[in-house]
Amino acid sequence: MTLFLVKRLIMLVATLLVAAVVVFSVLEILPGDPALVMLGVSAQPDTLAALRAEMGLDQPAWLRFFQWVGGLVTGELGRSYTYDVPVSELIGERVVVSLPLAVMALALSTMIAIPLGVIAASRHNKTLDIALTGAAQFGIAIPNFWFAILLILLFSVTLQWVPAGGFAGWDAGFWPAVQSLLLPAFALALPQAAILTRVTRSSVLEVLQEDFVRTARAKGLSRNAALWRHAVRNALIPVITILGLQFSFLLAGTIIIENVFYLPGLGRLLFQAIAQRDLIVVKDLVVLLAGSVVLVNFLVDVGYAVLDPRLRSGGGHV
Amino acid sequence: MTLLSIENLCVELEGPEGTYRLLNEVNLSLSKGQCLGLVGESGCGKSMTALAIMGLLPQGMRARGAIFVDGEDLLRAEEDRLCHLRGRKMAMVFQEPMTALNPVVPIGRQVGEGLRLHLGLTRHEAETRAAQSLARVGLPAARFPLGLFPHQLSGGQRQRVVIAMALACGPDILVADEPTTALDVTVQAQILDLLADIIDEFDMGLVLITHDLGVVAETTDTMAVMYAGRVVEDGPTDEVFRRMAHPYTRGLFAAMPSHSSDGAATRTPLSTIPGRVPDALSRPAGCPFVTRCGFATDVCHRSVPQMEALGHRHGAACFNIARGEVDQ
Repeated sequence: MTLFLVKRLIMLVATLLVAAVVVFSVLEILPGDPALVMLGVSAQPDTLAALRAEMGLDQPAWLRFFQWVGGLVTGELGRSYTYDVPVSELIGERVVVSLPLAVMALALSTMIAIPLGVIAASRHNKTLDIALTGAAQFGIAIPNFWFAILLILLFSVTLQWVPAGGFAGWDAGFWPAVQSLLLPAFALALPQAAILTRVTRSSVLEVLQEDFVRTARAKGLSRNAALWRHAVRNALIPVITILGLQFSFLLAGTIIIENVFYLPGLGRLLFQAIAQRDLIVVKDLVVLLAGSVVLVNFLVDVGYAVLDPRLRSGGGHV
Repeated sequence: MTLLSIENLCVELEGPEGTYRLLNEVNLSLSKGQCLGLVGESGCGKSMTALAIMGLLPQGMRARGAIFVDGEDLLRAEEDRLCHLRGRKMAMVFQEPMTALNPVVPIGRQVGEGLRLHLGLTRHEAETRAAQSLARVGLPAARFPLGLFPHQLSGGQRQRVVIAMALACGPDILVADEPTTALDVTVQAQILDLLADIIDEFDMGLVLITHDLGVVAETTDTMAVMYAGRVVEDGPTDEVFRRMAHPYTRGLFAAMPSHSSDGAATRTPLSTIPGRVPDALSRPAGCPFVTRCGFATDVCHRSVPQMEALGHRHGAACFNIARGEVDQ
């Protein structure tokens, strides 16, 4: 188990390093001089040169790369060009919006999808199964920004249960803050839940064919007990794989959803930073997002080991 | 004392091209402390009979007739009642120990699960009893802790776990569906010995399903030969082996690799039964074996032979018993 975790941890660090190299190189190659953007096209050449020197843009790329990575490791993320505040501060303000949003969306999608998938599988080819599969197909087909607008129309405009957009802030109290994240989280979660429902359903159906489910029945377990106690845990292994993969889609989704709901989150920050050529923010954010994806995949690997004892010992006989 | 009595059991499956009759008027009985062997080729209905006894026929299959356990007809019992009886009255050992155990649950919990369910034991009590059960089948806790997972055991050891699981609640009837087929030859004998010992010790009844006549001869007290969903010959094992009235039984016996007394295989080519088991839809109108039988006459094509008594509890379903025996 320890060896397994150490291996995965090394992989995690290596992946992050590669991500940093890729992000840095892409932004090097892309046209657009941040100093020029800040000063405007009519800037004097010497002013421009002075600013470039101040921002460190005159130094060779490899040196800037190591300075940047060194900064990332020590937590010194640099200063935003446009906001003129430390990037860590910018990210810190917004992570308290985006992280709860992503976690809520992930939790919602899991809580909706796994029970529905298991129920659909247990009622294989019956009316409920067909209805759930159909609904899931519908959920996959709906773009989440459009679904978000529908949610706003129903819950904010017509029913007026939750605010249509904006973030109350955690200072306003726990419930108002959660309330303003509810709709966006739901909009993010729905397509994910739809996919996950189908994955869960087919995975459970497959496991239900296994001999050990029949063994459990032969012991006297009812159909439902055999399903929940013996089939579901085995069926979850492919499900958490998809869950891990979905996390990156979820992050990409926040960029759109945060814009629809006017949430001051990381997605919106990234969007604005790109528009304003705030390259240092873009770089830091992309590495941060990449890091969270890699971290989630690490957690998925740990999840495998928890669910499947065969992985812990490397599958060998003792 | 009769533990299990199967009367006119028919199992049907509604298919797109009509009704498949998988089992046809099967009659069997099993007494306390006895072992009943079910023999036949693949697809003859042995496993289907086992699943019918357990009430675990795949969805879409209908069973008719009666299966009496302690005077109670299982085919008329509600699902709740069956759950109550499964594992406690009748238990099953499966063919594939590799897949019959849940790979993500420790063996102790798998053995103890039935105990907690049926006897209402606490987790701790169930563990103690599971350890006893495992020790009885040759897996003492000192060497095989309850926390082991199935993948950490060999095939024979896993089959012992499956047997321990079946034994846990002290059932009256044990159904073993080809319990040794997936195992190494050396392990097969150990598992069969274990099953035989357990039957004696706990005074249970064993239904042993196999395609190996050698196993039948060694282990069983009574036997039934099945073909195409019917019992074609049954009776006390020694009597069936002595007389072998049905041409199919003789065919099966002739198809066994024989060994001379010094253990070396004889050089005569292995006999086979020509053709194969007709599938459930294209079974002949008359005797099910007619397409492969060397003795078939007109009447065999026209009607189904009924079981005919040949001696004390020995019977066979064939129109040409006398003729076959003369030709033999």
